[in-house]
Amino acid sequence: MGAKRKLLKGYRGGLLGSPLKWLIANIVAWTIGVLWVLPFIGIFMTSIRPFSEVVSGWWSVSPFTPTLKNYVDALFNPMFSLLRGFMNSFIIAVPSTIIPVMLAALAAYAFARFSFPIKNYLFVTMLFLMAAPQQMTIIPIFFMLNNMRLLNTYLGLILIHSSWGIPWITFFLRNYFSMLPKELEEIARVDGATNRQIFFKIVLPISLPGIISASVLQFAWVWNDFFFALMLIFDPNKMVITQMLPRLKGQYQIDWGLLSSGSVLAMIVPLIVYIIFNKYYMGGFRGWAMKK
Amino acid sequence: MAAGIIIDDVTKVFPPNVVALKNVSLKIKPGEFFVVLGPSGSGKTTLLRIIAGLEVPTKGRVIIGDEVVVDANEGIYVEPRDRNIGMVFQNWALYPHMTAYDNIAFPLRIKKLPKDEIDKRVREVAEALEISDLLYRKPAHMSGGQQQRVAVARALVKQPNVLLLDEPFSNLDARIRITAREFVRELQKNLGITTILVTHDQADAFAVGDRIMILKSGIAQQIGPPEELYGKPANVFIAGFIGDPPMNLFKLKIDHPLIDTLNVKGYITKHGNIVYVGIRPDEAIASTSLENAHFIGKVILVEYVGSRRYAKVNILNEISMRVLAEENIRDGDEVRIYVKKLHLFNSNGKRICTINP
Ligand SMILES: Nc1ncnc2c1ncn2[C@@H]1O[C@H](COP(=O)(O)OP(=O)(O)OP(=O)(O)O)[C@@H](O)[C@H]1O
Ligand SMILES: [Mg+2]
Repeated sequence: MGAKRKLLKGYRGGLLGSPLKWLIANIVAWTIGVLWVLPFIGIFMTSIRPFSEVVSGWWSVSPFTPTLKNYVDALFNPMFSLLRGFMNSFIIAVPSTIIPVMLAALAAYAFARFSFPIKNYLFVTMLFLMAAPQQMTIIPIFFMLNNMRLLNTYLGLILIHSSWGIPWITFFLRNYFSMLPKELEEIARVDGATNRQIFFKIVLPISLPGIISASVLQFAWVWNDFFFALMLIFDPNKMVITQMLPRLKGQYQIDWGLLSSGSVLAMIVPLIVYIIFNKYYMGGFRGWAMKK
Repeated sequence: MAAGIIIDDVTKVFPPNVVALKNVSLKIKPGEFFVVLGPSGSGKTTLLRIIAGLEVPTKGRVIIGDEVVVDANEGIYVEPRDRNIGMVFQNWALYPHMTAYDNIAFPLRIKKLPKDEIDKRVREVAEALEISDLLYRKPAHMSGGQQQRVAVARALVKQPNVLLLDEPFSNLDARIRITAREFVRELQKNLGITTILVTHDQADAFAVGDRIMILKSGIAQQIGPPEELYGKPANVFIAGFIGDPPMNLFKLKIDHPLIDTLNVKGYITKHGNIVYVGIRPDEAIASTSLENAHFIGKVILVEYVGSRRYAKVNILNEISMRVLAEENIRDGDEVRIYVKKLHLFNSNGKRICTINP
């Protein structure tokens, strides 16, 4: 009895029904969770130890000599400074998050609440085009940017990331806005607010969880992007961090320590963003629960 | 300044063909407390939304004060913000991200009134509604009754010509509900503001209304003061809808023995072969010792509704009805029943008359 009690400590009944179901759900969740973080642990273990210790695999733990050497080397490599890559990634990712989220929020509200001709066709078209793979669009994008003299510039890449983000953020926020209780907007109308005032004073503030979720995802996506950056930026001084990583692997033999410390550094930024906004982020996906 | 409201032959059809309101006409006097009472889905909210301008009628027009705010035939439509209406939704619709203060101040800030004027008016209305000490709380941290008051404050702060209340008491529990009714009623009388309240609860309606309109399936059934709806229901629907416990209603052939016993044949001969006879539980009494009773029955069950005691009795071996019970009556007793008042309706359910048999 005592053991069973302990085992089921977290069980609160309700949602998952019987204790057995709860147990199975937990086992599944933990298994997936462990499988998910295992590679990350591997990379991390490799990154904080001298190369000689990990040649036979990161899981061999003796000897174990923690060191920051790999990190220092990666950040201050005279050939490919990761620090520079960091800054470039920020320069790209921050506007590439703010611009599309702002524009998409406006579009999403229109899709959610107003009726205008061809609205539904427009929306469906957008959904269709969202399915197009990057590889299919890259050649026209390349020539377009070239013609606009925006190839190999921050602005060019920012524009591409922004336009790539607008459709899915519009889709995401439209669903979010449609779930908001209409009464709030209606009472604001009765109280004299214009559509613009309703959007900025009521809809946006109460949609903060949704806006933040979209921003976190877009930021992580842009930060992790390799393909667009690879195709559109080739000045080493403007390269983003994901472009820098492959260059760390060394010329004659792969320097796993350097490579893995670079990966950890690159990963850490989206991770921090997730952690900071975790509360909102989860709220955004749970959707809007009106307090009755 | 209170304004009268005229609803002129308003019909609302939602696509594809849901008729929410059908040819509704009514005149509400300046300063009147008017109640729309009807079951769920009868079109009450739709009517309020049309008056507020959140919905446009398919046919007909609405006049507030001396301004036509909407006329479907002429294509006139005045935006909600230009109608000077205060409204409280069923779930109050307080802005969750704002404090009570900001909620109440919202309509004034939209109007761009000076800051100290806003502050003065918010505090005044908060004082009147006794919510001064929760001005800096957010809705999530208020009780239902408090949220309701904030919502009413927000509706009143801009000094509207008309106040619209959509089931404002429905989320309150029974005890607060009674105080809330009194409170709204008193406030309305003090301010003299024309008010329309919508509800499906007859107790709400009777507690606050100067006049009541009964709505069913989008059709106005009867408009009048509470006593009239109770005393002279226009049809069987209203007769059954109003009154708690509900009226005993029997559909009877004209040669039914009950008709004889009650001695009402004279009133109904020219109304066909079938009539409805209605007897309110409160207008008939079961006793063991009545001299001039109308009929004899057997008590099936004695029960309390509210604080009153009723007996369910079986008469003539086929009809069962609920009537007031004298104190000493128990299950299974033989009782004598006296009917003080009864309501007669023709076979279409239309009122014929009310008589004392
Ligand atoms: N936007 C809409 N589109 C289609 N049908 C609607 C719409 N709004 C209301 N209706 C229909 O119109 C009828 C009247 O609705 P309304 O909300 O006015 O009823 P109500 O009397 O307020 O009911 P309740 O007591 O449940 O609030 C219902 O049949 C409803 O389904
Ligand atoms: Mg309603």
